[in-house]
Amino acid sequence: MTERINRLKTIATQLRRDVVNTVYYAKDGHPGPCLSITDMLTALYFDIMRLNPEDPDWIHRDRFVLSKGHACPMLYAALARRGYFPPAELKTLRALGSRLQGHPVMHYTPGVDATSGSLGHGLPQGCGMALAARRRGDDSLIFVLTGDGELNEGLVWEAAMSIAKFKLANVIAMVDNNGVQSGGKVETIGGLVHLREKWEAFGWYVVEIDGHDMEQLVSVFENAAKRGRASRDEREGMLIVADQPAPNPDQPVMFIAHTLKGKGIPFMEGNNAWHKRVPTDEEHQLAMSILGGLDLE
Amino acid sequence: MQGLEALAEKDDRIMMVSADSMLAMRATGFAEKFPDQFVEMGIAEQNAAATAAGLAIDGMIPYFATYAGFITMRACEQIRTFIAYPNLNVKLAGVNSGVAGGEREGVTHQFYEDIAILRAIPNMTILVPADADQARQAAIAGASIPGPVYIRLGSGRDPVFFENDTPFIAGKINVLQQKGNDIALFGNGVLLNRLQKAADELEKRGMGVTLVEVHTVKPIDVEGVRRILKDCGAAVTAEDHNIIGGLGSAVMETAAENCPVPIARIGLRDCFGGSGNPEDLLDYYGMSVNDIVDAALATIKRKVIK
Repeated sequence: MTERINRLKTIATQLRRDVVNTVYYAKDGHPGPCLSITDMLTALYFDIMRLNPEDPDWIHRDRFVLSKGHACPMLYAALARRGYFPPAELKTLRALGSRLQGHPVMHYTPGVDATSGSLGHGLPQGCGMALAARRRGDDSLIFVLTGDGELNEGLVWEAAMSIAKFKLANVIAMVDNNGVQSGGKVETIGGLVHLREKWEAFGWYVVEIDGHDMEQLVSVFENAAKRGRASRDEREGMLIVADQPAPNPDQPVMFIAHTLKGKGIPFMEGNNAWHKRVPTDEEHQLAMSILGGLDLE
Repeated sequence: MQGLEALAEKDDRIMMVSADSMLAMRATGFAEKFPDQFVEMGIAEQNAAATAAGLAIDGMIPYFATYAGFITMRACEQIRTFIAYPNLNVKLAGVNSGVAGGEREGVTHQFYEDIAILRAIPNMTILVPADADQARQAAIAGASIPGPVYIRLGSGRDPVFFENDTPFIAGKINVLQQKGNDIALFGNGVLLNRLQKAADELEKRGMGVTLVEVHTVKPIDVEGVRRILKDCGAAVTAEDHNIIGGLGSAVMETAAENCPVPIARIGLRDCFGGSGNPEDLLDYYGMSVNDIVDAALATIKRKVIK
């Protein structure tokens, strides 16, 4: 286990370095919202998800929808390091003609499963993808990561209702609960409170996790994935975490991941100026000295 | 719905996505016959459109069917960014289009902006079938057109224009009569009956009329429209839609770039409708047979004699 976790931690550091480099070279992008989801994406793309980078459209793959599409430098870095395209291409983010658009676009970027960026659309798209998987009789999982700010969108709650209604246990969702959106705190801007109770009231099974604890992430995601692939009978009693009763077999799972914007780079941590900002040469150098790993070549 | 049932029988990727619109779409039979191909999203059109996108991303061919305005306005962004941009195979069927289609419901449930909205979105195909049997065929035709297709429907009580099984050939203009070239009448949907009467009346008054159905508003058959305009040298368009952005605009744009001739537009004159009997509404809002005849006579006078 330790070896597995250490490997993932090393990858997460590399991806953080890639994100800072990407935004620095592209001179545009949202570093803060990338860094709060780095550890979750590392666990998913490098350990949990069933993927085939050689064949990005492989029908039996697991899907991932980055509903908070502005954090796409993180997704692009994960895809590049997972072998979907060369890491050097990350430098082309947001440039004319680049496959790496300012927000994720399916059919443009190998490995991007759904177009996103206009907030609130990951869950309803995931709902359709999960219904399609069920119809195909495929045990593919649909992972959806939403921001907390984007829960202001009414559409999220329409989809929350539908996914629970359709009993889509093959949907595994996460909220990146970093507590801050573009203009300030989520409680202040949109009035987002009682997050756990809201999801539970919509029929979801909720687990609160530390979005930066790699050991915990791997454990809960692995349990949720095993459950999501199981038949309805097999799902009976399957636990996600030891200290919480099992979900009922029909429930979709929502992880409320407590995270920190800018995580991993001390001068960015908790500072919302980094929601959308390009590091200066000095800041870039400082970040590079903090983070190990390879450059974009 | 008959068209969709015929499709669903042959192809299990065909699905209907409902926004509590099963009754409005007369889809109860579909839902009973194909329970695994029927997806009920509740009164949540954005959710329905985005879920349809998700279904299409993974190989299904969803038909999202509800009121025209709830599709094209409430779910406009979902259609533009999540269906049309990735060019997904989602079909949209909108009822209650036009004042006649929305009839007694009033403005909240009658829609005459739908075509204008969707014409501005790349990758969209827009079909306006004339009556129920044509709608059945348009639903079938839509499945074999790649990418998003919008099928514009009326109240379900619309007058019949074509004999059953008259072929519906998407993408081409349909020349209904070519009895001279004093004026071309272009129209679609519920107004075809009135256009035919107007053509007959003009004929009585000694005018030679070419009558053309344009059921595919986007992409418009540029060559077909140009050919008719060149022959007739003047035209009237008629549609149960705002005169801004619909068939009239499409024909005028085609004319301006290919064959400029005088054209008059019949339709809602940039105003809202209201409740009423459908035939009365069409008369009241400037879409009577006389309105078409008068527009034709006035436009003929504007023709440039070479």
